[in-house]
Amino acid sequence: MVIRARYITACAVLALAAVTVAPPASAIDPARLQAAEQTPNDWLTYHGGYKSYHYSALDQINASNVNNLAVAWIHMPGRSTRGLQSMPLAADGVLYYSGSYSRVYALDGATGKPIWSYFPELDEELVAMQTHSPYNRGVALGDDKVFVGTVDGRLIALDMKTGKQAWDTKLVDSKKLTVGFTGAPLVVKDTVIIGSQGGEWTSRGPIFGVDVKTGKKKWEFLTVAGTEDAKATWGNESWRTGGGGGWMPGGYDSETNTIWWGTANPAPLYDWSGADWQKSGPRPGTNLYTSSVIALDPDTGKLKFYHQELPHDAWDFDSAVGEFLMIDRDGRKLVVHPNKGGFIFVYDRANAKVQNVWRIAKNINFVKDIDPKTGELVGRRDLSLGAVSPPLCPAIPGGISWNSGSYSPKTGLWYKIAQEWCQEMEVVKTTPITEPMSQLNIGANFKLVAPPDGPARGHLSARDPVTGDKKWEVTFSEPPLASVLATGGNLVFVPDARGVLRAYNAETGKELWSHNNGVGHNGGIISYSAGGKQYIAVPVGWGAMVADEYSGLFGEPYKSMPKDAGALVVFTLKQQ
Amino acid sequence: MEKAAGRGSRPVAAVQMQIAKSVILIAGIALSSPLWVHAQQSQAPNQDQATSAASPNDIDGETMFATSCGFCHQGGGRATGKGPKLAGTTRSDDYLAERIRKGKPGTMPAFGSAFSESQLMAIVAYIRTLED
Repeated sequence: MVIRARYITACAVLALAAVTVAPPASAIDPARLQAAEQTPNDWLTYHGGYKSYHYSALDQINASNVNNLAVAWIHMPGRSTRGLQSMPLAADGVLYYSGSYSRVYALDGATGKPIWSYFPELDEELVAMQTHSPYNRGVALGDDKVFVGTVDGRLIALDMKTGKQAWDTKLVDSKKLTVGFTGAPLVVKDTVIIGSQGGEWTSRGPIFGVDVKTGKKKWEFLTVAGTEDAKATWGNESWRTGGGGGWMPGGYDSETNTIWWGTANPAPLYDWSGADWQKSGPRPGTNLYTSSVIALDPDTGKLKFYHQELPHDAWDFDSAVGEFLMIDRDGRKLVVHPNKGGFIFVYDRANAKVQNVWRIAKNINFVKDIDPKTGELVGRRDLSLGAVSPPLCPAIPGGISWNSGSYSPKTGLWYKIAQEWCQEMEVVKTTPITEPMSQLNIGANFKLVAPPDGPARGHLSARDPVTGDKKWEVTFSEPPLASVLATGGNLVFVPDARGVLRAYNAETGKELWSHNNGVGHNGGIISYSAGGKQYIAVPVGWGAMVADEYSGLFGEPYKSMPKDAGALVVFTLKQQ
Repeated sequence: MEKAAGRGSRPVAAVQMQIAKSVILIAGIALSSPLWVHAQQSQAPNQDQATSAASPNDIDGETMFATSCGFCHQGGGRATGKGPKLAGTTRSDDYLAERIRKGKPGTMPAFGSAFSESQLMAIVAYIRTLED
């Protein structure tokens, strides 16, 4: 007993020493954000750093001990309408995350003990009129503040330590334009950048740069007809019917001081002009800068260069995914970007010139191909009025969804989910919508069906991100809709649609561990360190736009799955 | 997965729909134009009145459905998607209209200020043409 007591005392002293010598929390300044990928104890930006690796170098939890992974603590945010979709952040042992209605929480990363919470007062009447609402997909850190967007068109800054509001800036007249903010912001130096929703509405899909200290708007870039050249690509002034938007945070290339952002589709989603889309139909022309990747100066919002992945997108396969994986290969500085149509574009970071295009989804027929040298669409399948036969592939949820893959510099592999499904559809000529507070402008009736090569399904594949060469693949009976996390412990975590969090060997794809969280995953996943221990944090909760398709397409367990439940579940290794 | 009803019987449904559309068009213009103008005035006071008048397309329930409703109620309302299948619904017209007006928090938006009463009833009439 004496020996044991001495041992415990010694451990306590050591633990106290560890706490005492832990480095004090430093400011979240531009240098720290720039170095996010080199500081694995934290998870400082939505994409885990400006290069969109979504990777944690921590290896305390690894392929040999993952069987000992267990729940450390759970936080229940309540009022999780349409689930919990955000990517948590972690800094200096404190975890920050947002829930539906842009509610923000700061928690002790080791215990889950609440430090502060912030519930913004929203325009509930407006929220009741929105389709893509009231979920929130994440916050940003910078200048010792936490930034969050709201579905009623505001960007709010909170003091990181107290949660007290520093400023609240109205950026979008959501009452008039329907759209607001659901995506996380991105902080670059002294500017916080956030893109509005778009796609199906009359808005011109603005992206904003706002001063981190004052909340004053510095610039606004319109993704629909944002320049005179772009306006000329919308015949018959069809830019008034809008679309676009940049509803997910992009990446930042500090070497050239360039932010990369993805933009959404034009409205209406579907078009009846067939091959004559340059001259007729609801929006004649290429419709710049929708379904594009755009490179902006973060200080001024000026467009530097762009590539329109889908000129005149007639299928709602937009480029709004904010994942811009920046890697160097053979002296080339590249950026890899997934398009919703199921193709992966590889660009030169200096100018968005296409370096390669490869397909991650198997069932694609909206084009015959995309030229891997030029990015040109080959064999476009432009739709005409009436029934579309054979069904369009992929279906409207896309060959990939908005959640992020994960790139491990250790294995050189990119782990990414893709989706296999098609849709029966009938294109319908709609009346142009330019009225205030208009609802969706779709232009078709459709129904999801299985693809030609088998059942509707999803898959996680481990690939070379530049060539697309596949090392391994795991098939899921329903596509997982949450982000993926690769770690330095040779693990890949996949939070699946049924609610099971799974860990795979990053080299082989062998499943090593799983845990049922009780309801589907549809958000992010991160790893961080607090008090010398590694944690895995995953939001749990179901009910987003794509998730809502699962009840009709797959039946149970989705028919019975709640769409208002949410929890943040945090794992660590059991004490041995 | 539920099968969509109606693909095979579309010609019949289409004929019924054309009849329904004509009736709605006439009834809508005759009965509800003042309501439409009123709705527009209340939500957009600065709007040019000339652009606020109802056009035939504005009260075409089938078109409006494909514009704003088919995103969730799939197969034109004939199949379960994000929202429930509407073909063969046993709900009353009043129930359907009220649901469109007020929505259902967390699952369906409220269209009460986006659609005029005549547009709303045209959508209900379109739903009634759907064969189960």
